[in-house]
Amino acid sequence: MKQLGVLFQKEWRENLRNYKIFWIPAVFILFGIMEPVTNYFLPQILDSVGNLPDGAVIEIPPPEPAQILAAVLGQYQLIGMLVLILAYMGTIAGERKSGTATLLYVRPLSFTSYFLSKWMIAGLIAIISVWSGLLAAYYYTFLLFEQVDFVKFIQFAATYSVWILLVVSIVLAASAALPNPGFAAAVALAVVFLAQLGDGLLGAYWTVSPVKIPNYAAQWLVDGPVRADFWWALGIALLLIAMAVTFGVWMSRKNAADTKV
Amino acid sequence: MAMEEMDLLWLLLPIVLIQLALMIFALVDLVKNPNPNGPKWMWALIIVLINIIGPIVYFVVGRRNY
Repeated sequence: MKQLGVLFQKEWRENLRNYKIFWIPAVFILFGIMEPVTNYFLPQILDSVGNLPDGAVIEIPPPEPAQILAAVLGQYQLIGMLVLILAYMGTIAGERKSGTATLLYVRPLSFTSYFLSKWMIAGLIAIISVWSGLLAAYYYTFLLFEQVDFVKFIQFAATYSVWILLVVSIVLAASAALPNPGFAAAVALAVVFLAQLGDGLLGAYWTVSPVKIPNYAAQWLVDGPVRADFWWALGIALLLIAMAVTFGVWMSRKNAADTKV
Repeated sequence: MAMEEMDLLWLLLPIVLIQLALMIFALVDLVKNPNPNGPKWMWALIIVLINIIGPIVYFVVGRRNY
């Protein structure tokens, strides 16, 4: 327990020094603000770049505020995932490759604390980023359009946090299991995006799947998802997170010997 | 909701500020980085000239996070 605290402080300092604690939330906030703003200015944007004949009239119904927040999620599903996976691909694999890890591995190290400290800081930064980005989007949607019920918003953001934690766990497990950061990122990206693709193509045949969690999150903004499906998916996601963490701890212990000096 | 033009400018200000902050963080990091992944002048151009994506690409690819 004491070791976990020490390692957590080390990770915290590292993330402070490589500015991850600043730039990852900044990216999420930026994309959170851009979505409502582009929606607000859409008529003007179409006017100036649309190359329409004079006198053409486009009537765009004002978008529903819930739709805008869902669109922000769509951005996060692509750019957010990419940023998180690329930022954390080297967490363990990179440390082993550069040799920094030897400084840790020569000490009587609990690999559980080692992996958990990294998982905690990556999860913390990911959740801070998502919440600050979504809150920015919420505030801008409120200013430019209408207010979304705050309770619904909390349910929406909390549901999405579970998905983000799952993604972070997958990246860290890949980083622990594979020899270099690029490989880890490729595998994590493949897992996350293929799962989404598979669910998108065949997902109509099943109603419970952890990949549907972002969809459930967006549904909370309207009437909420089917409760039983939602809780099952959430349970499976939590189980998968626990499995990824266990696998990561096991692999980081097993691969410790591969460290280059 | 009718907005005055000044109000709209205030709304857009955070976008500009965050972009600037990202750029400055990336540039400071680049200057202090002894061993970036590629020539420094190239990264400086990428960070300054490409909006939003430039600093992100530098942080992800350019600074060797390991």
